[in-house]
Amino acid sequence: MSEALLHLDGISKVFPVAGGKSVKAVDRVSFEVEENRICVLLGPSGCGKSTVLRMIAGLEDPSDGAVTLHGKPVVGPARDRGMVFQAYTSFDWLSVRRNVEFGMKVNGVPRTERRARAAHFIELVGLTKFADAYPSQLSGGMRQRVAIARTLANGPELLLMDEPFGALDAETRWHMQEMMIDIAWQENTTMVIVTHDIEEAIFLADKIIFLSSHPGRLKEVIVPEFKHGNRINDKEHIVQLPGYAEMEQKIMRLMREEGARE
Amino acid sequence: MPTPHQERHFFEIRKPVSRPQAILSAIGIWAVFFGVWSLAAHSGWVNALLVPPPEQVFSTTWDFFAERGFASDVLISITRVLVSFAMACAVAIPLGVMMGTFPSVEAIFNPFIGAWRYLPAPSFIPILLMWFGTGEAPKLALLFIGVVFFLITLIMDHTKNVRKELIETALTLGASRRVTVTQVVLPAVLPDIFTAMRQMLAMAWTYLVIAEIVASTTGIGAMMMRARRFLKTDEILSGIIVIGALGLTFDLLFGLLHRWLFPYRKETR
Repeated sequence: MSEALLHLDGISKVFPVAGGKSVKAVDRVSFEVEENRICVLLGPSGCGKSTVLRMIAGLEDPSDGAVTLHGKPVVGPARDRGMVFQAYTSFDWLSVRRNVEFGMKVNGVPRTERRARAAHFIELVGLTKFADAYPSQLSGGMRQRVAIARTLANGPELLLMDEPFGALDAETRWHMQEMMIDIAWQENTTMVIVTHDIEEAIFLADKIIFLSSHPGRLKEVIVPEFKHGNRINDKEHIVQLPGYAEMEQKIMRLMREEGARE
Repeated sequence: MPTPHQERHFFEIRKPVSRPQAILSAIGIWAVFFGVWSLAAHSGWVNALLVPPPEQVFSTTWDFFAERGFASDVLISITRVLVSFAMACAVAIPLGVMMGTFPSVEAIFNPFIGAWRYLPAPSFIPILLMWFGTGEAPKLALLFIGVVFFLITLIMDHTKNVRKELIETALTLGASRRVTVTQVVLPAVLPDIFTAMRQMLAMAWTYLVIAEIVASTTGIGAMMMRARRFLKTDEILSGIIVIGALGLTFDLLFGLLHRWLFPYRKETR
């Protein structure tokens, strides 16, 4: 197993609510993410999985505990942790190419290098034909690909994705999931992906962090052993593997237990 | 068996009208307007001195430009609107964007601007005349006061509507706060700023006429007040037509500019 890149050490998040009270969204969650691995945060709604991701991104400060990347504590958002959101975040006033170049531009990457990297990542997500199009001319799935290419082109250590395919229709979602597996392979990307979709979690994950709800606590770390460490970029293939159905049932049971607690 | 069709009524709820029907309806309503006006003026129902027939008003309007150098008055009015409006935008755009982006800045200015917004600008005319005399300054000041506070508030609200994810995307890509404001927040809100400007420019024309009627010897409004003294109703109505036409022209120009500057907005689904 490769060395851990990201450590979450007992992080909690308390949000103030109306009437001077506060609510604990995340409670002492600890786990680590190894380099070049895909880690999926899974759990029922209200388990604080998005809040955990936002704390990794530096968009929220933990109330307690610490997030460390390469042993250095994370303070605020930065280039080393790129984030893809569920909502479309393409900059409508920029072409696809300029969207993908945005991060590199603000970080002072020279123009020629910027162009080349942008072209590579646009190709990687299959949008070469649309490089000069504006986001409003693209479908939802294509816009998410722009967001993925833009984040990867910026060269982050860690790709964070918050239900990135949640707004897409089922067929587009498969294609995107298969694409992410290919990208992880080709680009040696470390990813943390938040989802509530069990199938998506099993398909993408090298490791699943299952969180319980109200407050969000680490319930179980699930490693899909049935893949034998392989990544399978074919949805039809993976569902036929021995062990897939058992894992799906196991996670469904966990989900149901959590739902019943409410 | 022929396909059965639903009978189409004139009052169809929220069903778009065809293009011919739209054009016919638009022409129709104007034809009725001019028809009633013309009939009233010619038939002697109303005092012809107070309501001159439309053709007289149009020929007077033509005459104004062709014979009597009215263009210089019009030019003065346009200049007043544009200069004061430019000053208002120069203040309102940076301030509105700052207030919409930084709650700390909003906390300073919003209690102040919120109060000024509800003071009717014309109530400042007497004091503006005392401060600035009778030159261009009091007119420009009135237009500025009338427009700037609303414009700031509108731009602030539009800036607040810039989606949080866009800002957070920029920050996680490593953009500084300054770059995030200038390269993400500002371009994201710019089309809406233009819409706000378009709305407020119409208001600037309203204040222009007030300023020129109350306190000016030049401009379209002043011409109309002179005409009143000599019972020239056709000239007054010409003035109204010219102001209307100018307002409409500027609105159309803004619309064109919007489409030219923000082509990506057209295709938004």
